Amino acid sequence: MVEQFLFYSEAHIAVWAGLTASNLYSLWTGLQKVSGSAIFYHMHHSLLRRHFTTSDYMNDFARWVWTYLNQPALAEKLASVDPWEFTSVRDVREKLLAYLEPYVGEMETFMRVPERDEFQFIELRSLAFPTGLTAIDLPSFRDCLRQVGHGSLFYHLIEARLRLGRRSNDFSEWLSDCLKEDALAERINNLSPYAYNLWQLRSKIIELVEARLS
Amino acid sequence: MNKIRLDDYAPIVGSAEIHEIRALAECVGPVSLQHINSTATGGGVAEILSWVVALMKDLGLKVKWTVIDGPPTFFEVTKTFHNALHGARVSVTPEMFELFTEVSKQNLRKVDRRADFVIVHDPQPVGLIVARKNRRTRWIWRCHIDLSEADARVWGFLRTYVERFDAAVFHLPEYAKELLIDQFIIPPAIDPLSDKNRELNPSEIEGILNRFGIDPEKPIILQVSRFDRLKDPLGVLEAYRLVRHWHDCQLILAGGSAADDPESGRVLAEVRERAAEIPDVHILDLPPTSHVEINALQRAATVVVQKSVKEGFGLVVTEAMWKGKPVVGGAVGGIRRQIIHGSTGFLVHTVEGTAFRVRQLLSHPEMAAQMGQAAREYVRTNFLVTQYLKNWLLLLLAVRKPWKGLMHWPKRG
Repeated sequence: MVEQFLFYSEAHIAVWAGLTASNLYSLWTGLQKVSGSAIFYHMHHSLLRRHFTTSDYMNDFARWVWTYLNQPALAEKLASVDPWEFTSVRDVREKLLAYLEPYVGEMETFMRVPERDEFQFIELRSLAFPTGLTAIDLPSFRDCLRQVGHGSLFYHLIEARLRLGRRSNDFSEWLSDCLKEDALAERINNLSPYAYNLWQLRSKIIELVEARLS
Repeated sequence: MNKIRLDDYAPIVGSAEIHEIRALAECVGPVSLQHINSTATGGGVAEILSWVVALMKDLGLKVKWTVIDGPPTFFEVTKTFHNALHGARVSVTPEMFELFTEVSKQNLRKVDRRADFVIVHDPQPVGLIVARKNRRTRWIWRCHIDLSEADARVWGFLRTYVERFDAAVFHLPEYAKELLIDQFIIPPAIDPLSDKNRELNPSEIEGILNRFGIDPEKPIILQVSRFDRLKDPLGVLEAYRLVRHWHDCQLILAGGSAADDPESGRVLAEVRERAAEIPDVHILDLPPTSHVEINALQRAATVVVQKSVKEGFGLVVTEAMWKGKPVVGGAVGGIRRQIIHGSTGFLVHTVEGTAFRVRQLLSHPEMAAQMGQAAREYVRTNFLVTQYLKNWLLLLLAVRKPWKGLMHWPKRG
């Protein structure tokens, strides 16, 4: 018997981490100190908050460096850090620090921004909960996809990489392991949330499933 | 009390979102909670509470809303505290602290000691925390004001109460303080079904424009705000004067002048005097109940401006964004959290910058439309009552049994 796919959703609440950055140096030290959930908030969760504004810098660090520190080259590098490519928050943090380090190293003095413009580190408390929707085959999977909200897509596509610890997502895992739909699983896994917003991603996945069904 | 139901929002946020909120409420369970504030009507807090309480009840929570009592002298003291917390230089005496403590004690009987959660809104009822006798009831302090420039003496006094709560909640991280308790961030939200924000049919909008003598054919630049120097209405007039060199358009400055604020009367007079020199300016001094009128003006606007030099969150920006309008806003306070520069609107710092961005939007209606659409989606995802309610449900869970990172419900073995 095929194992059912249980659709979960994820809700988040923000907590002030008690840490701010006023220049490049304090951003660098802050990035080393804050919890993984703060990196998750500023890198991954920002995809959810601004998921339809694909043309903008998606993560909070790149936006702040661009807007307040006037460091466009560094901002571009930080913006290129696509959380989708990483399977752990630790790796994301290391990549960000690797981009920051040369800039921190070559500066003798650090311009401070006014207090109102400081970067505020935020942590996240996230709750994953069942939506009550279950799929047992491709048609029911497609029907459920049409009904779920963006919290569910975020949980199964974006958060999944960190939970699974590999470059995959819950949909692809289930399609491959339980329905033996390896090619479809692979196609879904190649869709990037950095290139599409969550609604577009959903449409793309539904299109792929329908193509397979027909 | 508003007779609103969560299902009414399904056409706006989608039935999936409503379904998920109900699933989240099941995780919370049928808990009882008491909201306590200082007024049942008037002001943003009472407005928010009216729909939060109704929606929480609709989700099966047992909710009670209690308003504290006090003599006029108490509310004069809390008004002074309010101004001091906003950074105003005011005279604070030991007698004020004594009166605050005394009236807080008189209100202790109003606390529901059997409730699972007591949620205290703003500083006025914060002293009720002394009624706390056990750790079973969780206490949350919801601060609706900006404390970033708070007077040290007043904040120092209130802080002794605040740190006895389990958690504090602020609109923005910039407002958070160094405290020994968790500080959650929940931005405020708008109700898309209220008179201020509901859909209006074209004839309603046209009727209101006619009433105010506004030409519906000419592009409209609009700022809705009190006549207050912090909203810079004179700067808006100057920006409009610059835009007029290039575009045949009209400016509406719509707002009110509080009877208890002599400064607003002076600002209004000054604005009128300056506006007399510039064509097609409409100054509308509206009563505070003009929700449908403001709604119609926002929907009729071509570009909305909010050129504040200081701002709390700026829900008026949220309202305009929800109506699909590109907003040119001062880069201050919560406006910066709402406007993603170049995507959901433009952030500006000067009169010249305001004029430049307004001109840009008037010259490129397709860009204005795209930006307005992105603004509406941003509000839909982040600043509607449904998201606010979701945040509150999660907050109740997080305060009842704190966790870090991601938790699964029900807990996985």
